[in-house]
Amino acid sequence: MPLDYKIAEHTLANGLRVIVSEDHSVPNVTVNLWVNVGSRHEVAGRTGFAHLFEHLMFQGSRNVASGEHFSALMAAGGRLNATTWFDRTNYFETIPRGAMDLALWMEADRHGHLLDAVNQENLDNQRDVVKEEKRQRYDNLPYGNALIDVYAAIFPKGHPYHHATIGSMEDLDCASVQDVHDFFRSHYGPNNTVLTLVGDLSPDEGFAAAERYFGPLPATAAPRRGPVEPLAALSEPVRDEHLEDVPSDRLHLAFRLPVDDTPEFFAASLAMDIIGGLATSRLYQRLVRREQIATSISAHAMGFVDGTSLGFAAIDVADGFTADAAEAAACEEMVRFATQGPTEIEMESAMAQTERSWLSSLASQEERADHICHHATLQGDAGYINTFLDRLGEVSAAEVQQAAARWLMPSSRAVVAYLKQDGDAQ
Amino acid sequence: MTRQNSELQRPEVSAPEPWSFPQAQRSELANGLGVLTYDIPGQYVISVRLAVPMPLDREPPEREGIATIMARTLDEGTARHTAEEFAELLERKGIALGAGVSDAGLIVDLDVSKRHLSEALDLLSQAVREPAFHAKEVSRHVKTRLAEIDQERAVPGQRAALEFIATYFDPRERASRPTAGTKAGVSAILPQDLVAFHAANVAPDGATVVLAGDLGDLDVVAQVERALGSWSGAGPEVVGPREAARSQDAARVVFLDRPGSVQTEFYIGCPGPDRHVEGGWAPYQVAGFVVGGSPSARIDAVLREDKGFTYGIRSGFRPRRRGGLFLTSGSVRADSTVEALGLLMDILDKARDGFTQEETQAGVDFIGKTAPGRYATADTVAEEAAGLALDGLTTEFTTTNLLALAGIDAARLATAYDRFVDGQWTVIIVGDASLYAEGVSGLGRGEVTVLPA
Repeated sequence: MPLDYKIAEHTLANGLRVIVSEDHSVPNVTVNLWVNVGSRHEVAGRTGFAHLFEHLMFQGSRNVASGEHFSALMAAGGRLNATTWFDRTNYFETIPRGAMDLALWMEADRHGHLLDAVNQENLDNQRDVVKEEKRQRYDNLPYGNALIDVYAAIFPKGHPYHHATIGSMEDLDCASVQDVHDFFRSHYGPNNTVLTLVGDLSPDEGFAAAERYFGPLPATAAPRRGPVEPLAALSEPVRDEHLEDVPSDRLHLAFRLPVDDTPEFFAASLAMDIIGGLATSRLYQRLVRREQIATSISAHAMGFVDGTSLGFAAIDVADGFTADAAEAAACEEMVRFATQGPTEIEMESAMAQTERSWLSSLASQEERADHICHHATLQGDAGYINTFLDRLGEVSAAEVQQAAARWLMPSSRAVVAYLKQDGDAQ
Repeated sequence: MTRQNSELQRPEVSAPEPWSFPQAQRSELANGLGVLTYDIPGQYVISVRLAVPMPLDREPPEREGIATIMARTLDEGTARHTAEEFAELLERKGIALGAGVSDAGLIVDLDVSKRHLSEALDLLSQAVREPAFHAKEVSRHVKTRLAEIDQERAVPGQRAALEFIATYFDPRERASRPTAGTKAGVSAILPQDLVAFHAANVAPDGATVVLAGDLGDLDVVAQVERALGSWSGAGPEVVGPREAARSQDAARVVFLDRPGSVQTEFYIGCPGPDRHVEGGWAPYQVAGFVVGGSPSARIDAVLREDKGFTYGIRSGFRPRRRGGLFLTSGSVRADSTVEALGLLMDILDKARDGFTQEETQAGVDFIGKTAPGRYATADTVAEEAAGLALDGLTTEFTTTNLLALAGIDAARLATAYDRFVDGQWTVIIVGDASLYAEGVSGLGRGEVTVLPA
């Protein structure tokens, strides 16, 4: 089913790529900016910095007071936030059309003139806030650090994806005002940013507004390095076990995958769905439904741009069974899948579920803007949202099998196990 | 590159364009099933919600959790298909089918791309009318729920929420125990219990099906008629819901000891209104926002942006069918526990002295002006309509409530807040009691009961 969301694109003289997707269904505009910097660009001793920096973008800039980005836009009917991930940092707000100029003015102020407002006090404050974010989302939860362990097990030390975006407490403690200045000067600037506007406006209106507010900013960002070399699948299994006060055993079986936005990655991602993502997946049918060794299964493929992506299945082991039994059954299924490949029905199911979830994710202006910016920034393709399903549909069952045989064999797995301590964990 | 324009004047914000909540087409099938359709062009995934009134206190006391287990097993095998076959039928058409219960009833939710709507409605019909409740599937879901109970107890925020209802509500109330049931009740559930509970409660008369999305060129009502028109029966009449009683000793501090916690979780509450409250519901949305709805709200302005104690603490009024709660929850750095709790309680109490006109207007503007975006997708429209249906309301309520925002000023906001927020707080803390219980005691917020987490 071909999609035809409108996409218009224009690049300002300073390098800012501007994409407008006109949609008058609601009198709103989503302003979405992606900066091509993420935790993969962090240097040793400064993990977590890209994310801490993102927090500082809300603490004021040349003409905007600390906290005003939230307060002024929310009072105008804005919903907004920002996130940082391995590959990139994004900033976004959805506002009534009449507040679009204010939003763009505020964005240009912080993307161009942040450093006027950065000081030791707001750095210290947001460092504390980020440390609480880390404690809340990772350190104070059962299994909270499991994915951080997965990244470390799959990617070698020094690799851009070896450390998690949240970073370490020690490195957060080391961050200085000088680091903020250096990071801004290296990575921020219109020539390393994509701006997408989705909603109640025409392309010409969007391009003119972008020129008005962002046109005066100089192209300050340093050139990007090239992508790092792809990694082959792990040559032997890696194991990382934790004996902890957790309610039940949980296993993560993780694998290196091909770089994002390639037919091979699409094939590997369909394989992950069929092995562990669908309600009819191989692992769910056997471990959860038939043998009841596990109470839940999930599987994900995370596409990355620096040479190598990540796939993993998470297995919650049922009471009365061992993690070893669950792992052995899962490994057997993965070998079987890599040997036999998917059935026609499995291919049909994985495609149908991807289509529905893709269409759902394009249903709101804000998510649509984020997808557009994502692929324009990282793959250069502003029209990705319209072509993705067709490209996925071109992947054959044989390619899915080949991807599984190359990337998803148990001999290439990294296992992160959180095992329940003996005795009553309560 | 020049910078002569870098000091552009701050742009003025112009008034938002008029907008109204999507209009429903209403009809009713002969079997008493209400049908609400919302045509929202451009929404290619159709969201279907079936709302069946089924107050939770209909659960047999020794089988609490049965409504949830029933919801989770509706699609685990039907008269015509095994569980695996049924799952495959759903997946091949890209259908997402789920179901859950609240204190007011059952909501079955289904999302499907437009071209598969007809098959999806047929499968929805089979799931709600002919579930098989095979022993193997039932025992599996019982075990899964038991494992889930252990997981919930291990997560501080969820642990706090469970202790809150147990402390706040009178122990005779169903509301004092988890919606999805406790170990004792869930363990006792057998297939025949589910068959009986389903037969007694899941029926079309009085239920509502909502369809939202790009419905142009579809005869949706005919499709619903084809799938659900021959369904028959009526559940027990839902009579005058009443407010769950508050426990006599609700106003106290319970500290759940979780040794070694690097953060302390707070879950604090007192009574709140329901949507039918005199003077309207809108002021409570605004008050929740002003007190704890954003990083600039009163709580985070101090605890996050000034002190750096938290990633964020949120407040809000949560309506039930009758009565409601005003809840505040979030976590703080462990060694700030005592100071943070003192500041937080002071902020909650001080709000009873009133609000400024400026913050009131900011809240009114946020709630009102974000509505077009909040209700822009099929999913959110269907969700709103189904939730309101279980409360005996339609999305006319949403529209009226948004219009009522215009009449809210600081004085009305203060009156509304003060009417329910009585300063009698139920305070649940999950953290390291050996380090901080004594300090919390010293705040003079009442006796502190320490229990194991």
